[in-house]
Amino acid sequence: MPILVFLVLPSLIIVPMALTKGDLIQFPPIWISIHSFTDYLGDPAWAQSTILSFKVSILAVAIGGLAGTTAAMAMHGRPFRGRNLVAGFIVSPIVVPAVVLALGDYLLLAPLQLVGNWMALAIVHAMHVTPYVFISVQTSLAVGLSAALVRSARSLGAGRLAVFRFVYWPAIRPGLLAGGVLGFAVSFDDVVLSLFLQGPTTITLPVRMFTAIEYDLTPKIAASASVFIALAVLGLVVQGLSARGRTAA
Amino acid sequence: MSDQPPSRRSGRQLDVEGVWKSYGSRPFVVRDVSFVLEPGEFLTLLGPSGSGKTTMLMLIAGFESLTRGTIRVDGRDIAGEPPEQRNFGIVFQGYALFPHMSVLDNVSFPLRMKGVGARERQRQAAEMLDKVGLDGFGARRPHELSGGQQQRVALARALVFEPDALLLDEPLGALDRKLREQLQIEIKEIQRRVGVSVLLVTHDQDEAMMMSDRIAVMAEGEIVQIGSPGDVYLHPATPFVAGFLGETNLLPGECRGFEGDHVVIRFRNGELGRARIPRFGGRPAPGDAVLASIRPERMRILKPDETADSFIEGKVVSCAFLGRHARYVVDADDQSVVVSTTDWSEHSALAPGTPVRLGWLSEDAQSLLAKDRHDK
Repeated sequence: MPILVFLVLPSLIIVPMALTKGDLIQFPPIWISIHSFTDYLGDPAWAQSTILSFKVSILAVAIGGLAGTTAAMAMHGRPFRGRNLVAGFIVSPIVVPAVVLALGDYLLLAPLQLVGNWMALAIVHAMHVTPYVFISVQTSLAVGLSAALVRSARSLGAGRLAVFRFVYWPAIRPGLLAGGVLGFAVSFDDVVLSLFLQGPTTITLPVRMFTAIEYDLTPKIAASASVFIALAVLGLVVQGLSARGRTAA
Repeated sequence: MSDQPPSRRSGRQLDVEGVWKSYGSRPFVVRDVSFVLEPGEFLTLLGPSGSGKTTMLMLIAGFESLTRGTIRVDGRDIAGEPPEQRNFGIVFQGYALFPHMSVLDNVSFPLRMKGVGARERQRQAAEMLDKVGLDGFGARRPHELSGGQQQRVALARALVFEPDALLLDEPLGALDRKLREQLQIEIKEIQRRVGVSVLLVTHDQDEAMMMSDRIAVMAEGEIVQIGSPGDVYLHPATPFVAGFLGETNLLPGECRGFEGDHVVIRFRNGELGRARIPRFGGRPAPGDAVLASIRPERMRILKPDETADSFIEGKVVSCAFLGRHARYVVDADDQSVVVSTTDWSEHSALAPGTPVRLGWLSEDAQSLLAKDRHDK
């Protein structure tokens, strides 16, 4: 417990630090002003990075969500040779060191002139999102879907689309939501991939913060960090609500 | 709907003819199965696990494809139709209710798939819920119901769209004994009220005896015998059927000839006994190895002055008092013979080791050809 407090405390003092009057990020802050927030939002470079981060992460979650869900669906209830190998391959982006992935992708995308392209960056992020969605959808399918359920729907007259809508989708939904939230967090947070694949107009928020902390130590860093904390809290709330909805269902 | 004559809703005729099924190059799991499910009839496929009865049901439902043979509904071949186009109501072992839908939505689901309007399907679903005794449960979720109630929801859902037949796949397997017996009566009652034909798959012989108009006993992919519960119990065609439906003693011997309706059998200890000529199945010829099947409740421990048509001698191995009756195991002719008797008191109980004479009436013994590849 003390170790936990020791580790969590620094992230909790970030928000008060953003409320400083000074022009440097410092502790203790000089109370009290919101100029760092207005500076942060008013600075075109920072605003652009924030929007870019959202764009990249949303697209990454969309692609990764689709890939992870379809992979989990395809493998559900089908034992075949090499099944574990395929599953291992899908989750490998979590295991392979991020630097190695980033370097590999850099070497792949550079000749294609795609380094600095935000959609290419989103696709690379999607690769990182996929395993989270895959694992959580796999789990929710194992809990919520059975062959008998599919058969019973078909015997009651449900065609392919109706089987998906009334049997698969309700079973997938909780896993997709959980995996999507987690995947978004992973993507939004990512520094390593985004750092390797950055271009003049594709500097994600974490990368901008990382650069800023090296050069100007502006309290905008603390202000933008609050965005992350707000998102994390939002993610927890969404998960909590959906979990409650499930037990009530 | 109750004002409609039962025949209006009594389902259609299902013809299963020469059906074979194998998976790839593996041996056949269903071999040359033929039967007719008459409109309004309750037919049970009864057999041990691995006898092919569930596969047979899946073939009819369309979840498995035929290797050979035809399945017809009112003369129309349905082999090419996918399950969603066939019109069978199926109740699966775990009920397979949609967990995220209310009971009413579950029951109205098949009507929704058929494009029935929202109000009309709700009305029909509510009516069917009423019929299965779940009036007022429509708003609940399946997990809020007991096992027996879920079972009835599944039944209502399978009946609401007036299927050609109701297919039940071990529908009571997950329930405890008391509830199972109660639901057997209820299902039978609902079937009678709705007038639908039913094909039940089960391994539970009591369930089959209790509910069926006819029973098809299956073993190793084949129908060994098909007939009324009385026929299959009283006149089994093979030793397998005799042993699978209820308990029986099978005493080996040799056919020595005939006496009226009876086969004369010489048992291994040299004694002669009589047993009925089988009504179904193979008729033994003199010299054939036969088995005399005698139910434990028909086998008697003879008092010294009593006689019977046939008897063998043995020694009591054990005696267990079971309330309604007592059950003796007697070692006779190197074989365990089970005797079930109500003639039992604490004083008359025979101690293990006591020599006894067992006897039976010729009417209560059934001769069967010993050669039977389903014999286990």
